Amino acid sequence: MPMQHIRNFSIIAHIDHGKSTLADRIIHLCGGLSDREMEAQVLDSMDIERERGITIKAQTAALQYRARSGKIYNLNLIDTPGHVDFSYEVSRSLSACEGALLVVDASQGVEAQTVANCYTAIELGVDVLPVLNKIDLPSAMPDQARQEIEDVIGIDASEAILASAKTGLGVEDILEAIIERIPPPKGDPDAPLKALLVDAWFDNYVGVVMLVRVFDGTLRPKDRIRLMASGSTHLCEQVGVFTPKAVPRDALRAGEVGYVISGIKELQAAKVGDTLTLLERPAADALPGFKEIKSQVFAGLYPVESNQYDGLRESLEKLKLNDASLRYEPEVSQALGFGFRCGFLGLLHMEIVQERLEREFDQDLITTAPTVVYEVLLRDGSLLNVENPAKLPELSKIEEIREPIITITVFVPQEYLGNVITLCNQKRGNQVDMTYHGRQVQLVYEMPMAEVVMDFFDRLKSVSRGYASLDYEFKAYRAADVVKLDVLINGDRVDALSVILHRTNSIYRGRELAAKMRELIPRQMYDVAIQAAIGANIIARENVKAMRKDVLAKCYGGDISRKRKLLEKQKAGKKRMKQVGSVEIPQEAFLAVLRVGK
Amino acid sequence: MADSRRRTIIPLLPAQRLPSPAGTGVRFSSPPPLALYIHVPWCVQKCPYCDFNSHALRLGDFHSHGSNERGTAAIPESDYLAALIGDLESALPLVWGRRVDSIFFGGGTPSLLSGEAVDELLAALRSRLPLLPSAEITLEANPGTVESGKFAAFRAAGVNRLSLGIQSFNAKHLKALGRIHDDHDARRAIGMAASHFDNFNLDLMYGLPEQTLAEALADLDTALSYAPAHLSCYQLTIEANTAFAARPPVLPDADACADMQDGIEAKLAAAGYRHYETSAFAQAGHQCQHNLNYWQFGDYLGIGAGAHSKLTLHDRVLRQMRWKRPEQYLAQAAAGQPVQEEFAVDAADLPFEFMLNALRLIDGFDASLFESRTARSLFSIENQLRQAEDDGLIERHRQHIAPSDRGRRFLNQLLQRFLVERA
Repeated sequence: MPMQHIRNFSIIAHIDHGKSTLADRIIHLCGGLSDREMEAQVLDSMDIERERGITIKAQTAALQYRARSGKIYNLNLIDTPGHVDFSYEVSRSLSACEGALLVVDASQGVEAQTVANCYTAIELGVDVLPVLNKIDLPSAMPDQARQEIEDVIGIDASEAILASAKTGLGVEDILEAIIERIPPPKGDPDAPLKALLVDAWFDNYVGVVMLVRVFDGTLRPKDRIRLMASGSTHLCEQVGVFTPKAVPRDALRAGEVGYVISGIKELQAAKVGDTLTLLERPAADALPGFKEIKSQVFAGLYPVESNQYDGLRESLEKLKLNDASLRYEPEVSQALGFGFRCGFLGLLHMEIVQERLEREFDQDLITTAPTVVYEVLLRDGSLLNVENPAKLPELSKIEEIREPIITITVFVPQEYLGNVITLCNQKRGNQVDMTYHGRQVQLVYEMPMAEVVMDFFDRLKSVSRGYASLDYEFKAYRAADVVKLDVLINGDRVDALSVILHRTNSIYRGRELAAKMRELIPRQMYDVAIQAAIGANIIARENVKAMRKDVLAKCYGGDISRKRKLLEKQKAGKKRMKQVGSVEIPQEAFLAVLRVGK
Repeated sequence: MADSRRRTIIPLLPAQRLPSPAGTGVRFSSPPPLALYIHVPWCVQKCPYCDFNSHALRLGDFHSHGSNERGTAAIPESDYLAALIGDLESALPLVWGRRVDSIFFGGGTPSLLSGEAVDELLAALRSRLPLLPSAEITLEANPGTVESGKFAAFRAAGVNRLSLGIQSFNAKHLKALGRIHDDHDARRAIGMAASHFDNFNLDLMYGLPEQTLAEALADLDTALSYAPAHLSCYQLTIEANTAFAARPPVLPDADACADMQDGIEAKLAAAGYRHYETSAFAQAGHQCQHNLNYWQFGDYLGIGAGAHSKLTLHDRVLRQMRWKRPEQYLAQAAAGQPVQEEFAVDAADLPFEFMLNALRLIDGFDASLFESRTARSLFSIENQLRQAEDDGLIERHRQHIAPSDRGRRFLNQLLQRFLVERA
């Protein structure tokens, strides 16, 4: 297909604004899938994602569209991950496109993440076509939504297409606009190969599948390829496109989007943002924008029972096959035994991993409170990255502790503005900007990431009744007056319960934490003393009084099966708890710190 | 392959360990003592805490039998009697030649039976099974349904122990428990029992809705004033599928109940009663033989609607349950099929079942008892025993095992250690 008849585009939309439905409509209209195959929203392939209404695994569809002019076009839809933790992946997907549809719910207006992704698109030189979706709803206010797009994002929205992905209204207009208003790709099919690795995932049969956008040159099976950032070389075994079903092709040429299979066994070797070139005739420079993914949030994952350690390791290995951003390494906790310290892109990523381990891999987990990475400058001048509070060196050796600061952008309807500002202030935020855009207010704060990791998402949702939206980006490391809070159970420090907190609220938090732990730890055969300590100072003490008896009052010759069941139930309940010393601690107690300070 | 090259495989296990088709891989050299339980499944009205197989009599349920002064229907006594005797006869092959050491009429409300009916039943039993001459024969009575004449008739029929479901002497608490008797009925019933039986038990409950420690101890004082040979003091427990489970009453908290238990145990010890099982206290020589048999994991044949049996055969321990609903039981017993459910206990579960009972005994048990009742060596549970001993839940002296004071109080935690995980 000549390049003039190719269009590469993405869809930028907030969760629930109808991206998946619109993608399905477009695929359907172009004959990509039958009605039956349309039943499930095809672009969201994993259960958990479907439940949460997000897409983290980008997929793509190469579609044939016969335009009103009668000409046939090749439309490549490149899916983008829909969550705040995946901004780098979004930027790589967008840079593979010449255009993007900005889908805005006409009844709700723009949201923080949409705006952030839109800015990314504009920075990358991607043309943005506004689409006002859900126009069939009685609550739709297209004029206001149009105004917001112009105000907030600063692009012309006068030609925004009115559509309803649900009813199909306007979808053809969207396709026509893609052809007319998004430029065809440029590039030289005869130049040295330059292909952007947009996404990669692991397939049990063929190994790593790479989704690429070819900018220059041509890639054919049997070509020897080199990944310029990782430096590894591979033999290209197969190329093809997704319709969205995988269809092999004889070549991928400049301007095209498709998949490459080259016998790569490990996802880590195929880094998103890397550039593919030919070994024999390499490109002079790689495509811009590549970044190594860095974990932002860390937490310990431990099996509830120590004999499940191998099972957890195998599960993490399998999960990692398909999640290059997951990091883990073995860790030993005095309290919890053998487990793993895991690094995540953000909190949502952590929740997804946790949930997949529990649901798909049937692992019983103890998760410790998530923490950010602190930079610790020691007296001897060396700099240490601390991603586990228990590993914080002695205070006497520390010159300075630096914490990561992020810039957060919140969009919130005016009526909840006060609540959100109060919350941001509680979280040690510094206001950078506040702008009114019609119904909504855009707030920009600088805030310690540690505060966001604690419980910011949940609280932002609750104080705004779910209407606030959030985007964040890393800003800088800054010196901070933080302290380590330890928890002692029956006099023994439980390393897995240590947290790093800002000094100003550490005493208050410590007291609340001890009180919360008392609620969560059930009464046992012995007294359980819970203490919170900062250094050698005990700042709080709570006591879980021993229960006095646990015995069945009556037992005669009758039906013993019910007594047995009762005891089995009690025993099973205990098994779900972690034995620390002689104390049984329920899973949720390890995350108790997330539930204080409200 | 040629036949000559086949090798004969000789089992290394002794033959006796190979399970017979119906057996469970155990071998008992002699059966334990046998007790007989007779269930009477009717009550004047169902108590909201009760999860036993009992059914309220409703007017008109059994018209041919007339009604008593409370306006409720009488039980279908002659039909039930015939059913019990038929039931016993069908069970005889399982207990052939074995002596019965105790009999217990439980319910429900066995005191709804007439003296003649009890007499007829006991005569029928004696003629079909050898009965220990000194056998303890207990009958449970509800203080709301007693008459002096009836107690005399029970005694004359051979009943030598009476168990009265007093529960409380406090009218407010009796009402909360849905009992048909009040405090006056309770006192009157005890007076009558004492005049006919030197050996009687009073059931008391504590931890009753809104009960105070003082009230619980006052109940006990009143009970002790009648010098009963035996006292059973239970903490009220909300059982599944009861009226209380559906609409839970406000009960004293766990600490208050523990205080009541401490107070009750101290008072009974001071009054000369031996605490011999979790909830049972007796004057010297008056421990309940029938219940002791349960707790020593002895055998019992239960007849009557919904009655449970545990019978040791040479190669298995059998559990049975009779048809539960009275009408169904009557019909099934008449057809010679009184048993609704029957299964052999998995040999691996026998240690747990033994412990569930025997660890309730304050004095514990000898290793030899465990071995004869489960056909397993005590060594098979040595790990659990050692752990329990290390944790201070049991005490071992040579071949004797008893729960420690802590083990007694946390019996559930102790018993959980003997549960066998199922695949």
